[in-house]
Amino acid sequence: MKSAARKTPDHKPARKSGDAVTEEPAIEEQPETPGEQTITFRPIQDGDPAPDPAGSGDDSASVDGDDGGTSQSRSAPNGSAADVVAEAGDGDVPEAGPGDAAASGGDRGGGDAGNGADTPAAEETAPAAESETAASSGDDAAGDAAAQAGDGDEGGTGRDGDDEGGTDATGIESAGIESAENETAGNETAGNETAGNETAGDESAGNESAGNESAGNDGGAPAGQTGGSTGRVREMPLPDPVSEALTRALDQLRVAVKGLHFGLDVPGSDEARKAQAAVLAQIDDYVIPRVHMSTAPALIVVAGSTGAGKSTLVNTLAAQKVTATGVRRPTTSVPVLACHPDDRDWFAKGDLLGGLNRLDEPADGAGTDSVVVVPTPRLPQGVALLDTPDIDSVVEAHHDSAHRMLDAADLWVFVTTASRYADAPSWGLLRRAKERGARLVIVLSRVPSRSRDVIVKHFGRMLDEYGMGEVERFVVNETSVRDGRLPEIEITELRMWLAELSVDDERRTAAVQATLNGVLNSFRSRLPALARHLETQVALRADLRSDVDAAYMGALAEIDEATRNGSLLRGEVLARWQDFAGSGDLMRTLQLRRGSKGSHQGPERVRALKASLRAGLESVITSAAQRAAEEVVARWRQRAGAGDRLAATPGLGRPSEEVMRRTSRTITSWQDHVTELIRTEGVTKRSVAKIISFDVESLSLIFTVGLLGYGTADVSVGSGTSALPQRLLRGLLGAESLRSISAKARSDLRARIGLLFDEETLRYVDALDSAGIPDEAAATRLYQATYNLEVAR
Amino acid sequence: MSAVSTAQAQFGLGSRLAALSRIVELGPGRVEPALLTEAAQLLLRAGDRLKLSPEHTVVALAGGTGSGKSSLFNAVSGLELSPIGVRRPTTARTHACVWGLDGAAPLLDWLQIQWRHRFARASALDRGEGRLHGLILLDLPDHDSIRALTDPEAHRLIQVADLVVWVLDPQKYADASVHRRYVAELTGHDDVTVFVLNQADRLTPEEQAECVADLEDLLRREGVAHPRVVATSATTGKGIDGLKAVLADSVAARRAAYQRLEADLDRLMARLAKEMPEVLHVEPTVDGARRAGLTDALCDAVGVSALGEAMENVYGVRSVDWVGWPYARWAARLRPDPLSSLRLGGVKDDIRTLVGSSVSAQPAEVDNAVQALGDGLSAGMPEVWQNGVREAARSRSPELSGALSKELAEVAPPLDRVPGWWWLLKIWQYLLVVMFVAGLAWAGSILAYGVFKAGRPPAEILGDVAVLPWVGLMMVSVLGLGLLSAVASRNFVVLGAGKERDRLERDMRRRVGAVAQDMVVTPVERELNRYNEFFGAMAAARR
Repeated sequence: MKSAARKTPDHKPARKSGDAVTEEPAIEEQPETPGEQTITFRPIQDGDPAPDPAGSGDDSASVDGDDGGTSQSRSAPNGSAADVVAEAGDGDVPEAGPGDAAASGGDRGGGDAGNGADTPAAEETAPAAESETAASSGDDAAGDAAAQAGDGDEGGTGRDGDDEGGTDATGIESAGIESAENETAGNETAGNETAGNETAGDESAGNESAGNESAGNDGGAPAGQTGGSTGRVREMPLPDPVSEALTRALDQLRVAVKGLHFGLDVPGSDEARKAQAAVLAQIDDYVIPRVHMSTAPALIVVAGSTGAGKSTLVNTLAAQKVTATGVRRPTTSVPVLACHPDDRDWFAKGDLLGGLNRLDEPADGAGTDSVVVVPTPRLPQGVALLDTPDIDSVVEAHHDSAHRMLDAADLWVFVTTASRYADAPSWGLLRRAKERGARLVIVLSRVPSRSRDVIVKHFGRMLDEYGMGEVERFVVNETSVRDGRLPEIEITELRMWLAELSVDDERRTAAVQATLNGVLNSFRSRLPALARHLETQVALRADLRSDVDAAYMGALAEIDEATRNGSLLRGEVLARWQDFAGSGDLMRTLQLRRGSKGSHQGPERVRALKASLRAGLESVITSAAQRAAEEVVARWRQRAGAGDRLAATPGLGRPSEEVMRRTSRTITSWQDHVTELIRTEGVTKRSVAKIISFDVESLSLIFTVGLLGYGTADVSVGSGTSALPQRLLRGLLGAESLRSISAKARSDLRARIGLLFDEETLRYVDALDSAGIPDEAAATRLYQATYNLEVAR
Repeated sequence: MSAVSTAQAQFGLGSRLAALSRIVELGPGRVEPALLTEAAQLLLRAGDRLKLSPEHTVVALAGGTGSGKSSLFNAVSGLELSPIGVRRPTTARTHACVWGLDGAAPLLDWLQIQWRHRFARASALDRGEGRLHGLILLDLPDHDSIRALTDPEAHRLIQVADLVVWVLDPQKYADASVHRRYVAELTGHDDVTVFVLNQADRLTPEEQAECVADLEDLLRREGVAHPRVVATSATTGKGIDGLKAVLADSVAARRAAYQRLEADLDRLMARLAKEMPEVLHVEPTVDGARRAGLTDALCDAVGVSALGEAMENVYGVRSVDWVGWPYARWAARLRPDPLSSLRLGGVKDDIRTLVGSSVSAQPAEVDNAVQALGDGLSAGMPEVWQNGVREAARSRSPELSGALSKELAEVAPPLDRVPGWWWLLKIWQYLLVVMFVAGLAWAGSILAYGVFKAGRPPAEILGDVAVLPWVGLMMVSVLGLGLLSAVASRNFVVLGAGKERDRLERDMRRRVGAVAQDMVVTPVERELNRYNEFFGAMAAARR
């Protein structure tokens, strides 16, 4: 993929993602700004799986030879290849004619590459390496990198040939990818691309002369790719910088996806969890390996309904019984991968489908987390067939397995039958292929020969209506199956198609790229959907939390009201107060200072009043706590899913066990506090103090009764503008002092009850937390990673 | 109809359905609404089906697209009634074929089969098909194609048919669309379900045997205890007779409709029981201890005992004003008053009026008392029922504290009440005071006229010095009498107040108990009865 593909201005609208590349063509011909960051190819290729470049290099070399020049120089395992491209020469530019750049330029380039690749490339490796380090910072911000690439391209004059080349390459990469997406859009793209390539060639021309040939190659290659399936083969790893930026973006994405935690069960959270696992598996199984090594053999996944004949088809194509067939449904439970012996290493050791165990032959007890790799010489090189479990049988693990395989596929072969083609699961699979933008081939199997035409036409019409009319189709007649294989004649077409795919590297690569792009595109909608779900979880959690707060705030307000309007002073409290006041204890509280030491009478009445006040307050708080607890549960129940589940947590519907104990402790300490307040702050008016001494304990009770609103409610107090306790206290303590003590005592009571309720609230928070705390930042990270991925492309 | 009643009696279906309707009545708010809806639908369906022709057995051919339902339908009926084809999906409307049309029309109407898709097998044409008399064979559309996603017809008829024949084929027999959606739900439906492995001609005999064995295994794993699997081939006619025989058995028995309903009921009850496991049988009445507890708690909320004490104390204090020894009162009044020195003299009047205010119940304590009762009673019940009991207990608590206050006001004497004998005693005391004053005057006059000879006394007795000691003695005894009577009446007051208090508490407890019975215990007991009745109905419906 390292080519100097650029786009002409016409093409701009086609590119959606904010790649700066789009801008490049517009500014073409301008000199590069040296200050711009440059990206060079790194020698990282070494780091890549060594066998791949080598193997692919061989293949591609031969292929190239056939096709004409593609810049195969890249396939050299070390960074030199990259360098070559970067340096790509002056000479190319002229060569690449505007229109035909791809073809002609490519050819020459191919030749040149053969000659020049080694020498100049090697020389320039060093500078390239240097500049890489500088560039690496730029890589992160992929957008920047792309922008720079654009600049680099524009300026033919750039000094650092390496650098510019590198940047070009990045830009081109993204261009290539995009154009691949756009393939269907039509040929103009191809034309544009080619134009772009030329310009790329121009720019690189400014660089050193050494790499001319390769530059030509570059120009040609992207054109081929972007131009769609008609172009030529490019079988090489992605250019390092791109690959690295992309890899890093993917790693970031992977971490971000992994970091999502859907703790609450809201509607759709199961789906979200599944989608998360699928995305994660796809990144691991497919995207990362594929981005690392685009030259790997294409993986063709054969999927379809149970009994559709997938295994039979694979066996026939492999001309060998690689996978079991039979009348039992479902037949295949362990995926079987058939490939050419030369490709076996890649599949046996490769990262593709890395999470699966490799088996040499089907073993008993092997689950859907293994894959059997069978080499078979009859399959052409470069393509591998994967026989999957079904998508619709009664064994649901098979569906997941099949979908996982499909997620890792470069090409989908969808097998259905004459009696199944209208099944809902089949169309579900087609819809998925459409959504993912995967390259798809449909095999309609087991067609009775006498009704073949009717069925094929009907199915074709259904596909047309579904917008998939142009998908390649093969028809296999219903015949007798012998030894798990169909007669060879039935699959001739299919085999030819396969052989073409094997030979025509370009077409294969195009298909591979198309699918990869489709997958990456699908991330655009799948990842934000995950993030959105996480956000709803966060929002739900906030709602649940606010339900709790609202309920307890309500309870607090209720208590506030009850302790203010005198409704507390009923029943026993009132009786005790009457007892206290009416039996003269109230008067005895106040004593003349001089002389009389009056026996302190009736402390039991004081104690009884105090106890009844405490009991009254406690009952108000307990009852409010009870109502609050019930309200929280009621509110939670109204929330969908998670709330309902959480509300069922035992014990949440009523106050906690300790609430009684805590309440009585709270009230007792509050009463002590009030007494203390009266003692310390109740600075008796001096005039009074001379005459009267009073019992603090009793006075604090009188004060409490007044504070709780005695006389304000239905408790009539007869005449008087203010109730008895207030008047008495005002007389004794002074209005100012009384007010301040009242305010303090009231706010202290509220604070204490608030504290008590906070502890109650904690139980709900714990329940919420036990369901998992959705991380709000995770959604942002995911958005960011998705964006970065787009930019890196 | 007689057949229906005998069948009902025979199978007990009627009583079970009655129990189910009781569950539906009692369930709202306690049982998952979806389940209740389902139960109500089942009741409705059962009612309809049992009313309609018991002579007919509705047999539905169900299956995926392309399995050969229509071919089988035609093969069984022996006529080309339902179009067959290679395009998928083929059949879009249900076709029905009736053996013995008498009385079948309402049933077909109920099944919503269109007129033009109804066919009858005239019995005259039937050679040896008399055993199928009473069969209504339905050819359903498929349930698994993309068309079926928007068309619930197949699903609807699968739910209502008396006997469902699942038409499977070697290619599709393990499809999730059949097994997950239907077969897994079929536990207990063995008698009303038949599986047909159609297109058997596509398999060799060995393969067919393997296939059937595999299918049976699969079905057993999914809970169909005794799967009935018939291998047929609609094209070659193989196995059709076997299928007909199976159908004929069911039709002849005329029991499939009941068996189907019973099986549905069993399944529904199993789900209900899972959701609402019976925990325990509760006593439908509130026992004495709890009642007493409730009454105590409510009495506390009203403050009965505190009120009694207050009454006792306040009477004691207030009686001093009336029956006390006047001299002591007067002496006390001479003492300096701290309040008046603070210009707070009015406070005393306030205190006096204070005791006149009436006592009422405290709502929060009333709430807590009721809550405690509900919690105590419902311990161990399923949570929804606990909530129900709590709700019932609270149903009238807004009025409860008002009612309690009213009762209290009726019973409790106002604290500022003044009994008549206090007046008498007060008069007596003042009489004694007057006597003392008179004695004082007498003694004074004796001193003046008799001792100091200030003049001639108006009456001799007023100047007789010899009387003086007697007068003195009289004055002392009047004072003593006042003191004694004050002490005695004080004791009487205290004694009376104590009695009054006892009476008050007794009365109050009785009245509070009555109010509690009326406003708390009765609703709670109603709820407990509902609980027991619900689980009784559950047990009855589960047979």
